[in-house]
Amino acid sequence: MSIRIKLLLLGLFTLVLPWAGCRYAREMESALREGEQTSLLSVAQTIASSLQGRSDLLYRQPPHVEDPETPPATDDDQVAAARREPKPSPYDLRPILLSSQPFLDGYVEEWPQNKTAWRYFARDQHQFGILTGVFERMLYVMLDVRDEHLVFDTLGASPLDPSTFGDRIWIGFEGPDGRERQVFIAATGPGSVTARRIETGEYGQLTAVSEPRILGALQSTPRGYRLELRIPLSMLGERFGVLIDDRDQRGADPVSYGTLRSDDLHTVGRLIVASPELTTYLKQFRQPGLRLAVAAPEGRLLAQVDSLSEAHVFAPERGILAQFYRRFVDRPGTRRVIDSAADIYDRERRQIIGSLQVSQTEDRWLILRDRALTHMLNLTLLVSAIAVTATFIFAASLAVRLSRLRAASESALTREGLVTTFPETDASDELGDVARGFSTLLHRLNEYTGYLRTLAGKLAHEIRTPLTIVRSSLENMESEGVSSSAGVYLERARQGSERLNGILIAMGAASRVEEAISNAERTRFDLVPVVQSAADAYRIAFPERAFATDVPAEAVELEGAPDLVVQMLDKLVDNAVDFSPAGATIILRVRLEQHAAVVEVDNPGPPLSAGTSAHLFESLWQSRTDSDSRPHFGLGLYIVRLIAEFHRGEAAASSLPGDSGARFTIRLAR
Amino acid sequence: MAMKRMVAIVEDEPAIRDNYAAAFTREGYVVRAYANRSQAMTAFASRLPDLAVIDISLEEEPEGGFELCRQLRALSPELPIIFLTARDSELDAVSGLRLGADDFLTKDLSLAHLIARVNALFRRVDALRRPAEASQIVRRGPLTLDAERMQVEWEGQVVLLSLTEFWIVYALARHPGHVKNRQQLMDAANVVLDDNTITSHVKRIRRKFQSIDPKFDAVQTVYGMGYRWVD
Repeated sequence: MSIRIKLLLLGLFTLVLPWAGCRYAREMESALREGEQTSLLSVAQTIASSLQGRSDLLYRQPPHVEDPETPPATDDDQVAAARREPKPSPYDLRPILLSSQPFLDGYVEEWPQNKTAWRYFARDQHQFGILTGVFERMLYVMLDVRDEHLVFDTLGASPLDPSTFGDRIWIGFEGPDGRERQVFIAATGPGSVTARRIETGEYGQLTAVSEPRILGALQSTPRGYRLELRIPLSMLGERFGVLIDDRDQRGADPVSYGTLRSDDLHTVGRLIVASPELTTYLKQFRQPGLRLAVAAPEGRLLAQVDSLSEAHVFAPERGILAQFYRRFVDRPGTRRVIDSAADIYDRERRQIIGSLQVSQTEDRWLILRDRALTHMLNLTLLVSAIAVTATFIFAASLAVRLSRLRAASESALTREGLVTTFPETDASDELGDVARGFSTLLHRLNEYTGYLRTLAGKLAHEIRTPLTIVRSSLENMESEGVSSSAGVYLERARQGSERLNGILIAMGAASRVEEAISNAERTRFDLVPVVQSAADAYRIAFPERAFATDVPAEAVELEGAPDLVVQMLDKLVDNAVDFSPAGATIILRVRLEQHAAVVEVDNPGPPLSAGTSAHLFESLWQSRTDSDSRPHFGLGLYIVRLIAEFHRGEAAASSLPGDSGARFTIRLAR
Repeated sequence: MAMKRMVAIVEDEPAIRDNYAAAFTREGYVVRAYANRSQAMTAFASRLPDLAVIDISLEEEPEGGFELCRQLRALSPELPIIFLTARDSELDAVSGLRLGADDFLTKDLSLAHLIARVNALFRRVDALRRPAEASQIVRRGPLTLDAERMQVEWEGQVVLLSLTEFWIVYALARHPGHVKNRQQLMDAANVVLDDNTITSHVKRIRRKFQSIDPKFDAVQTVYGMGYRWVD
């Protein structure tokens, strides 16, 4: 794994930040929820205590909390007893709170499907169900009457003519002034109905006056009919009742039953309904996302202000990121609403007259949380991204620097010697130390190599003086004249010193060639005659070898020093002669490449051993295993390389096909 | 010979100095040997030698020989001076010749060769004192070679060649068109030199002629073989 990847992975550890952020957000959420719950409870308690003793607000007429010691009514009649009985009576109607306005059509569908809210009254086989509801300032009544024979009033007849009476529904109620009033519904067919009241005229005559404030609709059902009514609450006092006059045929005696006294149609039950002011009262606490509900002790909703679904003041975070975060943070199954309830007591705090429930959507704090979370996660993600990027960039630069160092160290050993100018040596960090270490090492190595390189030359130079002493002494001795026996030794000593001199010349050859190259002048010349002329010379110099030339017909113009080229050929041919058997043909070839003139010298003989071709052209490389009288310092091919490089070219060696010999290829730039 | 010629040897290596002194003495020269420049100059101030053989590096002075040559040349413009050195680098040669040395030799030259040179230089000194002998003069077009005086003229102008250079030119110009290989040239010049030194001698010869005649092209290279003189 590269350093880049490693550091990138390290950088990815900063992603712990968002994770920690999510955890923090969750904790924050539960803390918020707890706090919200507490504050909601205190809100509920505050509102509840503001409602303490306000039964006038909770209920339209305060239920008479009378002394339980009051002697019960003497009247046996249940209805009459209920009339005075302040305690809940079976004829009390408790309207439910409607969430929407029912359409007056006689159908029950738009009413809440609340079976327990239905009240049933029966007499013999007769039975009706009543469902009452309040919407805003209207009382809605749904009557479901079981009736085998639905009898309508005669169309067009006086509603006061008993012979035309069909099934009638009486509504009895106490007006706001405390007076009992009754209206009746007499339908002449299914559809809209209007209530009518009976008024006594100035002279005692009775008239049926339409009561347009009480409207309704009647629909027949397979088992009877349904009547839906709407009565403004402002018309109604505390008491309310319904009486069904069930007639099997028009004008017949009815079977009367319901929650009114059948004899005088007086009410026996109360209409326990919240005051419309309660809603108004509650509305002052209205807040988006908040629901306030006041319920009667038995659990029936009296009033509520519902702003749960209202658009919140905080716009929810809609960004994809925010949703993504939410998915991360939200735990499944968390409730979206928190509730808090508080009881409402009477003035003496003895009796619970209702309860207040406050509900709040989670959105409130969810949004708060989401905001904080989004900001925080955005920030941490940004920090992570920056950290990862920075790490990556750092890693990349580190890798670049390292690879530069590596490349530099790989290429430090050049043909010219060792490169001591090393990259990164100016850096003040550890890499800089490494580079400086390398640089120092290379510097020392270079000094060493340089010393080795010049050793032969220096040695040659140093040996020359003592050798001169030896040779001049020998020559003097010769001139002085010695005995013939001593002359033999003298001759041997002279030969030895000559050989030593030859060695010295060979040792200094490379430095002399280097010097010659540095002083060489470049001229334009044709390579072909130079090679041919050199080949002629070799034929004379090496009669035991044949020399063949293979040159192009046209001139091969080069920029360079022909003397040096010939010297290079000398070294190559020397080499070829040494490694080829007597009588072998050495081929000198010149061919043209696009940007180079190629000189090849092929000689039959042993192939190049593997691995040597890379070193052949290095200074002091010796691959000869045979020993002859001539000194070899591995400088010949080094000189070839120096001359090739002077001509912006290169030297290479390879074995001939079939390992039948060796080929030296020199490219000279054109 | 009326009076023995005096050869001064300035050489810091005592063994070489003494060997050379012995060889010159045997040849019949009066030899004065000095180890360093100050000794030599003190002696030269009172009496000039007839010829000086000077080592380039002298004791503490790596190039004391050059300085000595300059001082000696200031005393006598005619005095033949031969440089000897263990270093055979071209720079030394150039520097030495610019200072007016008559020849430049490496120490691996044999004593016989060295003495041949000294003799030749004395011959030259003598020849310069006599009128030119026509028999010794070779003419090749613009080239005039005086073998006795070891003097070369090109288009009537004297070309200042060192002794080695003169012998190379002489060897080439005597048989125009004949290729002389390096060995032949070395033999002619009484030196043992490596190929590169011969090459640089030839180059220097060409340059000296070209300083008189930029179109000079008489010394041709026959690659792999040697050189030839072309009229």
